[in-house]
Amino acid sequence: MSDSEATAAAKGAEVVQEEFQDALEMLDSSPPTPDISTDVAPTRKARRRPEPKPAAAEVEEKPKTPSDSTVSQGGWGYWGSWGKSILSTATATVATVGQGLTQVIEKAETSLGIPSPTELSAQAEEEQKEQDGQSGRRRIGGNGKCDGNADVPHQCRPEYYVIMDITPKLNLHIFFSLQGKTVITGGLDALEFIGKKTMDVIAEGDPGFRKTKGLINRNSTLSQVLREAKEREELQQTAEEESDSEKKAVAHYGMLFDEFQGLSHLEALEILSRESESKVKSVLTTLSGDELVQLREELELIKESFSLVEFDDEEVDEKKDEDGSEFEKEIMEALEGLSITATAEKLSKACKSTCSQITDMITPQEEESEEDMKTAPSVESEMLNVFLFHHEIHAAAIRSLAELTARSIELFHKLAEMILFANGSTEAGVLSQLTVVLCKEISLLSKKFTSCLTTAGSNEKGDVLNPLITGVFLEASNSASYIQDAFQLLMPILEISHIQRRAESSEQ
Amino acid sequence: MAYAYLFKYIIIGDTGVGKSCLLLQFTDKRFQPVHDLTIGVEFGARMITIDGKQIKLQIWDTAGQESFRSITRSYYRGAAGALLVYDITRRDTFNHLTTWLEDARQHSNSNMVIMLIGNKSDLESRREVKKEEGEAFAREHGLIFMETSAKTASNVEEAFINTAKEIYEKIQEGVFDINNEANGIKIGPQHPTTNSTLPGSQGGQQAGGGCC
Repeated sequence: MSDSEATAAAKGAEVVQEEFQDALEMLDSSPPTPDISTDVAPTRKARRRPEPKPAAAEVEEKPKTPSDSTVSQGGWGYWGSWGKSILSTATATVATVGQGLTQVIEKAETSLGIPSPTELSAQAEEEQKEQDGQSGRRRIGGNGKCDGNADVPHQCRPEYYVIMDITPKLNLHIFFSLQGKTVITGGLDALEFIGKKTMDVIAEGDPGFRKTKGLINRNSTLSQVLREAKEREELQQTAEEESDSEKKAVAHYGMLFDEFQGLSHLEALEILSRESESKVKSVLTTLSGDELVQLREELELIKESFSLVEFDDEEVDEKKDEDGSEFEKEIMEALEGLSITATAEKLSKACKSTCSQITDMITPQEEESEEDMKTAPSVESEMLNVFLFHHEIHAAAIRSLAELTARSIELFHKLAEMILFANGSTEAGVLSQLTVVLCKEISLLSKKFTSCLTTAGSNEKGDVLNPLITGVFLEASNSASYIQDAFQLLMPILEISHIQRRAESSEQ
Repeated sequence: MAYAYLFKYIIIGDTGVGKSCLLLQFTDKRFQPVHDLTIGVEFGARMITIDGKQIKLQIWDTAGQESFRSITRSYYRGAAGALLVYDITRRDTFNHLTTWLEDARQHSNSNMVIMLIGNKSDLESRREVKKEEGEAFAREHGLIFMETSAKTASNVEEAFINTAKEIYEKIQEGVFDINNEANGIKIGPQHPTTNSTLPGSQGGQQAGGGCC
């Protein structure tokens, strides 16, 4: 392309193409060491950028100074307009935390027990300090924010960025800012660990955020947490509908979860759990002496089986259970004799359709992209297609996770009703087994989806793909903890059911 | 997607009167002649518009079986509206209304709007309960009344929407404290920039949107 072909669009495309090629070169030339950090990549790329810049790009980059770091931010800016919808820049609805990014990251870093990411993080920081003479952390903060909102690259305030992070939906941001350092290791374990740590750290500074741990603290209920998340997303969506003309398939976990009636089932389950709990308490107050001691011991046994749930992610093998039939078998085994087949069927149906969706995604993808090559010679539109395709996978992953979680909670709710209704003896062990099966399935599916994303985006730069992959892992981790929390809600129900059965047998 | 209010409804009444079918007709606009017995409670949701405002109805469709009663009672609390349904072709379902009503009044808030529904109005030839009887019962107990058919969809929209209108009026009159979620009303997520959806635009109402 020459300068005489001076339409703005063409120039824009040229820059994108250049960047893309640069990225590919970089991937080829770089040794497979972890310092292909996305934090570093743009800077390098910027250095390689050819001197004569297209006019269009200059207009976009008008407010920039010629320093190295800002040029690199210009580079981010282009991808940033894509990233915009990835991260779907929400307005900061939760403004309770004034804690700076620096502080949070610092805390997160110091409290991280994982050695290799920590080393990596130190390394990455060093590099950044060398490169732009700024605080590495600050810089990351700026980048993350810029990426989310390309319009105001120079008003990036790290503090503001953190405030945004507090919304559960946007947990992604924190990971995004950390990704260069930590995501490299890739494992879900590491992510989960970091996720938990990060939440802890943030929660310290924000009493409101403690709601995600509501069930542990008993300050608020799980359904409230999820309802709030959903409401925030609804706000976001309205904002998007109003302002954003470029319609993208942004997947909102919370809203989808509500659409599948997960929130309602959870609310109902909470009602039953709460009522059972107060019934148990009132029964205990009427007893005394040996009777009380004995009942307490029996209830303790039930409690124990609720605290024994261990779920080892390592064991999850993504190769197995391609069509979800194994999951169905396990679920049915766990639920044998619990007479809630209809709900269980819904769940395994959802799982099977997810599995077939994944299979569909893996197979026709290559043909499709070949077709794209033929029909869409414009580099820009081709890239857009690839980008949209990633988004479709991401959206499908989030949707599936939301559906499976909602169905799992529905299952627990129906179980609770049947236990109270039939008053048969249900072993807590069966329920914990069920929880493990469900969590494994969530983990398995998230692995399948992310490997699908990785395959589809093998030519892609990390900063396009990583946030999507991280997002899927994050929601999978959230899903698993919602399921585990819902499982805990069954405890008082088993307790009261036990007390009632006891009373019946003593009457006889 | 955004709504000004969310109302929680419960549907109650004897087993087999067509509660789940009414819900299905309202949410999905279809009729399913054979319906599984409801276990505990099932859910439906739909958006309606009243007075230019989007209102989301979250409907709890309870099991009618007597044996589930102790569980379903737990769900009454926090409902803004109730549809109390009987079957015009089965006199016994009409005779049980008093028990249902007592139960509902006892386990929910006193301001709850109750709509009495005589369902299966399409089965005129098998009618056992006259329309006038329904009307009289409703008048006596301060309920709204309608005969519906989940099969033909006759009056189904109206039943759900008129109940919402009544609740909406009560909000306007200040009978319902909308900041108290126990009343079964929630204010929708507030858009920070547009106040057009804010009812009366009192600033204090903002807090209600978040949570309790």
